[in-house]
Amino acid sequence: MKRVLFSLVIATFMFSACEEVPPEVKPFVVDPDDTSGIQTQQRQVLIEEFTGVRCVNCPAGTQAIQSLLSAHGDQLVAVSIHAGFFSDNYPQSLYDFQTPEGNSLLAYLGEPLGFPTAVVNRKLFDGEQDLQLGQSQWPYFIGQELATPPSVKIDITPEFNAVTRVLKADIDLFIEENIAESDVRLSVMITENGIVDYQLTPDALISNYVHLHVLRDMMTSYDGNPLTEPLVDGAEISRSYTLTLPDGWVADNCHIVAFVHFGGGSKEVLQAHEVGITE
Amino acid sequence: MAYSQEQEPGGGRISGSLEGNANFFMRDSLIGAANTPQYDRQLYGADAWLNLQYSNWGFDIGLRFDLFNNSNLLNPTSSYTDQGIGNWFVRKRINKLGITVGYMYDQIGSGIIFRAFEERPLLIDNALVGLRLTYDIAPNWVVKGFTGRQKQQFDAYRSIIKGFSLEGFVTGDSTSTWSLAPGIGVVNRTLDDASMNSLVSALRFYLPEDIFVPKYNNYAFSAYNTLHAGPFSWYVEGAYKTKDAINDPFGVTVISPDSIIIGDKFINRTGSVLYTSLSYAAKGLGITLEAKRTENFSFRTRPQEQLNRGLVNFLPPMTRVNTYRLTARYNAATQELGELAFQADARYSPNKKWSFNVNYSFINRLDSVKLYRELFTEITYKYERKWTLSGGVQIQNYNQEVYEFKPEVPIVETVIPYIDFLYKINRKKSVRFEAQYMLIGDDAKAGAKQDYGDWAFALIEFNIAPNWTFTAADMYNVNPGKNSPKDDSGDGLSLHYPRFDIFYTIKSSRFSLSYVKQVEGVVCTGGICRLEPAFSGVKFTVNTTF
Repeated sequence: MKRVLFSLVIATFMFSACEEVPPEVKPFVVDPDDTSGIQTQQRQVLIEEFTGVRCVNCPAGTQAIQSLLSAHGDQLVAVSIHAGFFSDNYPQSLYDFQTPEGNSLLAYLGEPLGFPTAVVNRKLFDGEQDLQLGQSQWPYFIGQELATPPSVKIDITPEFNAVTRVLKADIDLFIEENIAESDVRLSVMITENGIVDYQLTPDALISNYVHLHVLRDMMTSYDGNPLTEPLVDGAEISRSYTLTLPDGWVADNCHIVAFVHFGGGSKEVLQAHEVGITE
Repeated sequence: MAYSQEQEPGGGRISGSLEGNANFFMRDSLIGAANTPQYDRQLYGADAWLNLQYSNWGFDIGLRFDLFNNSNLLNPTSSYTDQGIGNWFVRKRINKLGITVGYMYDQIGSGIIFRAFEERPLLIDNALVGLRLTYDIAPNWVVKGFTGRQKQQFDAYRSIIKGFSLEGFVTGDSTSTWSLAPGIGVVNRTLDDASMNSLVSALRFYLPEDIFVPKYNNYAFSAYNTLHAGPFSWYVEGAYKTKDAINDPFGVTVISPDSIIIGDKFINRTGSVLYTSLSYAAKGLGITLEAKRTENFSFRTRPQEQLNRGLVNFLPPMTRVNTYRLTARYNAATQELGELAFQADARYSPNKKWSFNVNYSFINRLDSVKLYRELFTEITYKYERKWTLSGGVQIQNYNQEVYEFKPEVPIVETVIPYIDFLYKINRKKSVRFEAQYMLIGDDAKAGAKQDYGDWAFALIEFNIAPNWTFTAADMYNVNPGKNSPKDDSGDGLSLHYPRFDIFYTIKSSRFSLSYVKQVEGVVCTGGICRLEPAFSGVKFTVNTTF
């Protein structure tokens, strides 16, 4: 009996401890400063959400991204990619949001275990095994990425002809520090906001769901076009792309998303930037 | 896992086992076997485990090589490739002290507060990597303490898990017919800084009323006992978990009266589980009654882990393990956030010819929402040693909306009659036939049969002892339902899902070669389940012990 009591005393010591110092949990305060001008451009982080019209949990993920956008403003760039298990449209759907580039990106970045899911700056973060991250992990890793200054700044000048619907995008890259990586690429996406169509939600399949940041097409290859120039501090690199917007895409709701990223074993995004095509 | 043992002249023993699976993927987009890396481009995937154990000089030493080549086990829609030492341990007993270092599988009580376990079909390997000490403090009384981290493929999660248990065994004199096996346990998880920072970042975006201050340390306590008295056996366990951030997949966030979001949300709750099992076993009669109440008992190595990842504990399932293809189609995954469950099982064999089995499961959510009901009956008749006929019916109610996150679907109602007939042709050869038919309810809103509709299944198996077994089976979607594959005009297709297997057994080795077309479904091991996409292709497996 003495030994039993002795064991219990030892166990009590093992598991008793002083009151722990709790973490500080303060609500996020929105920073009103505009950081998107090329001179003052700060780090802008890309979040690629993989979603689908049959994904019942995805509207909650989209809402979480909206909260993050409210908090981070221009420093967060969101793209919703309809691809994978839940992305087949319904017979009654007005649009098919799946794109060949979106499907290729899912294969390129890896399938998630569950939804909602998103890839933040295409970075494999310490302690994680996949690029795909669950909704609760997005704020922390976005915060981590925002803490470092950009090694590249991006300027996008759109030119859209409303008659021919031809869109020209001039992309200028300003290298802020030497980049030693041999495989660096530029990707340019077209996204559209405010598309009303069917979406499965926890309540029901609804017809008037407003889809946001939908990847419509890419002006580069899905895995980016290589930058062949030396990426040394002070260098400036320019690229131009054109694309004719199909009828049905609302130009005022469309955006150009450009980002510079590695293309080898690491796919990490160095900087992202977004402008409206009619701005 | 079974090991054979070979004695060596030096007194050491080495034993081991090998399990290997190879899958050849054949794309069939009609049944949904498509759009994964394996179907699109890799075409092949494999996984294997080679386990070695050596005992000498009072030491037990174990080593396991794990291999995954484009494997779909970790994530059924993705591809996982890696290899390396997946497990090693050194175990030594010094008088009353037992020492284990390395990777270990263990549990406290029934596993409600701690279970480090492996389920290969779902690629769950929750081994604890660390140190465990046991000490025999008195005859039949053992204390155990452990500390470590949970395995994460070839790495380990950062959180620290430590635990303690005291277990004993008490009985009367040598003629007594009773015994007690009491125990207590406590487990502590200390969250690592990165996980806490991630949690805090997520909480900062919550509405003020939903924000809480999470704890680094949380504790789970358990007290349990097994009483044997004559033909009765009674197990009871009560567990409590201190406040912890847990993920509620159906969490409600009210942004405004018109904007309510339902989805993943951290909540700060204490948890509890009460579980009891009473058995009666006498000649020809066995009865088991079980009850379990679970509330907010999600216990993960970090709260960000979901589905079957990062599980620190294991909540015993409260349904029978069904083995027939159609009776096992709908499974009740354990609901860690809340369920009230009962199960009763009775077996009666009045003589060598007849036996009867009835099983009933009842599972509700704590707010009384119906989750699962199952009535299973089986009657078996054995005619001398010539043939055996079994048959019965299973009746199920399955809340697909909760278990599979499918909104607006009705409770799936099935009635499945089945038969199983085994005929021994001679001492070496036998043939077995089984058949099942699933009648499913109507989905009035969809104007169709529920889920995939009605199914028929038949299997014929031919055995040539001791080496060969051949089986041919087909699962046929007799009346397609709302979710069955459709043709171009939108009509459901009555598809066949055939399967052919050849098994070859020699000594302690078993090989199988199978051609499989399998409909998507929820696959469960114990109470842990996940949605598996359809499969189309060829499987080869090898299992051996040495």
